[in-house]
Amino acid sequence: MATATSKDHQGGRLRRRLFGMFFACFCIGHVLLHAQGFKLLDRDVQIHGFASQGFIYTDDNNWLTMNTSQGSGAFTDFGINVSTNVTDRLRVGAQLYDRNLGQLGQYHPSLDWAVVDYRFKSWFGVRGGKVKTTLGLYTDSQDLDFLHTFALLPQSVYPTDLRDATIAHVGGDIYGNVSLQHKLGDLSYTGYVGHRSDSIYSGYIYLAAQYGLYYSRYGGLQYGGDLRWNTPLKGLLIGVSRMNEDITGQATDKNPSSSGPPFFSESDHSKADWTNQFYGTYSVRKIRIDSEYRRFLHNAYYSTQGNVVLTNITDVRGWYVSGAYRVVKRLTVGSYYSRYSITSVSGGPDSAFAPPNQTDTSLPNNHIYDKVVTARVDINKVWNVKVEGHFMSGYGASTFPDGFYPEVNPQGFKPDTDALVLKTGFNF
Amino acid sequence: MKFRKMLLVTAGWVIFAVVNSFAGSIKVIANSSVRADTISEAELKRVFLEERISLPDGTHVEPVLMKEGAVDEAFVQQYLGVTEDDLQIYYRTLLFTGRGSIPKILESDAEVVAYVARTRGAIGYVSASASAVGVKTLAIGVAGNDIERKLITRVEPDYPETLKQLNIGGTVRLRISISAKGNVENAVLLGGNPILGESAAIAVKQWIYAPSRSLTVAEISIVFGDH
Repeated sequence: MATATSKDHQGGRLRRRLFGMFFACFCIGHVLLHAQGFKLLDRDVQIHGFASQGFIYTDDNNWLTMNTSQGSGAFTDFGINVSTNVTDRLRVGAQLYDRNLGQLGQYHPSLDWAVVDYRFKSWFGVRGGKVKTTLGLYTDSQDLDFLHTFALLPQSVYPTDLRDATIAHVGGDIYGNVSLQHKLGDLSYTGYVGHRSDSIYSGYIYLAAQYGLYYSRYGGLQYGGDLRWNTPLKGLLIGVSRMNEDITGQATDKNPSSSGPPFFSESDHSKADWTNQFYGTYSVRKIRIDSEYRRFLHNAYYSTQGNVVLTNITDVRGWYVSGAYRVVKRLTVGSYYSRYSITSVSGGPDSAFAPPNQTDTSLPNNHIYDKVVTARVDINKVWNVKVEGHFMSGYGASTFPDGFYPEVNPQGFKPDTDALVLKTGFNF
Repeated sequence: MKFRKMLLVTAGWVIFAVVNSFAGSIKVIANSSVRADTISEAELKRVFLEERISLPDGTHVEPVLMKEGAVDEAFVQQYLGVTEDDLQIYYRTLLFTGRGSIPKILESDAEVVAYVARTRGAIGYVSASASAVGVKTLAIGVAGNDIERKLITRVEPDYPETLKQLNIGGTVRLRISISAKGNVENAVLLGGNPILGESAAIAVKQWIYAPSRSLTVAEISIVFGDH
């Protein structure tokens, strides 16, 4: 009875919160639609922002570090940016971002990007600062709910709990666009090098803590490139991305089952860490079809006082095909099939204490297959509502963050999970 | 059921006709700093998608949009090949990922013309009937500098008798502007005898071409005599 009252109380709070957000969106939207910038030293300065609030209910396993089997609204994010063109070729801007996704983010704001961008020519520009990483179709825009038909992008390729791993780097990019002769379309390229730094409220660090490893720092070198071809076939774009990383982490090990003494310092280092992504998108009239394949390989070793105690090779492969159809101007429906598989092989003295090797991707703890249907309604130009159903088979490995975490599923995992996702977003 | 189908088909045709009628009534305008008189459709698209900051001749360019409406919709669909909503998503992706900005959006033909007139490199679009004082009108070509339009009616020029008797002839080159409807609105002599050029221009202005989506420019040559 007390639980029911508590649930009712939580439900009431959630309803008030959602209603408050709807009302705020409505009022602020109308005001801000007409005030998205100002003049500074005779330059137009643009200010834009966004916010989204989601609610997820799952029938069995808790998902994305939330208590979703009870229904959870701990799915909030927002951001605001300011930018201006200083000259014809020079542009500066920055964006602040904050989110709370179950146990992740926890409303600790971060600088999402802050760039100085100078474009020498159409075919050559440079940008530096904290720059969004170009990887596939949507890595850089994965947080921007209002740009996407789906409430959750395919998690096989865009795991929202691992956004920190790919979202941005502090460094520099070169980029440009080149027209091809003989009406062969055009090519856009990006090359980048920088430093990735994960928040301590990110998925990897949250998962490691469940095994007694408490990271104080996790990140490292990130470099790569992207090449995309806007083909002569109107609406068809195909591309390829590659990202290499050299990641190190510093952690305190409080796991009593490890070989070392309790509370010792541990570091991990990646020997090989790369991601390949191939993608294509085709849009014609009211239809848009996307497909991507991503493979991520992480070969790491963990050492204590200079001695390697554990090695691990994690091989993650994911792909999806999605389709969206705009039924009428304000209603879009969509569906995707997303397929994720993982293998994990450990070695070294501490491997006896690590989870057993996982190589059979047909098992539910080594894959997640997700069938999704969604409907997006645009109430007006700044405010949308999405309703989405996920029908998942499998729950992925417990050694790598992939949506399902042992900490929030102490009773163990069920093989299948159905989820209802409601989300509303606002932007100006 | 049959009535509903007919209604849908009719509505579809009406929308198609409205969009296309506007497409033919659009003109692309540019600030006087833009040296080119013609821009290809592909180049125009790249400018409006912010993939280009300059034209092949090196002139800096920046796109200017008009507020959502019939003219805007026709331009976006015809020349950019996307819907207005898709274009807004595209610009917002650039903006919110730190890769670009949303172009200036203005309310009316008059505002676009005024802004383009005072902003170096600005390229915008307005309805064909809008006054274009202080700006230049760019012709749209499919590729390269001009577009091939099908000639429907050709009127042969007069060969002045005096020049004919004196055996004065040769090739006259003209640059002509063909309206979206197909009329030759302007003819400029590029080379050749001025008297023959004047005669050629008078004839060419009576030529009728097949309709197109917008004003185009072409260079033509007319030969007088056996030269």
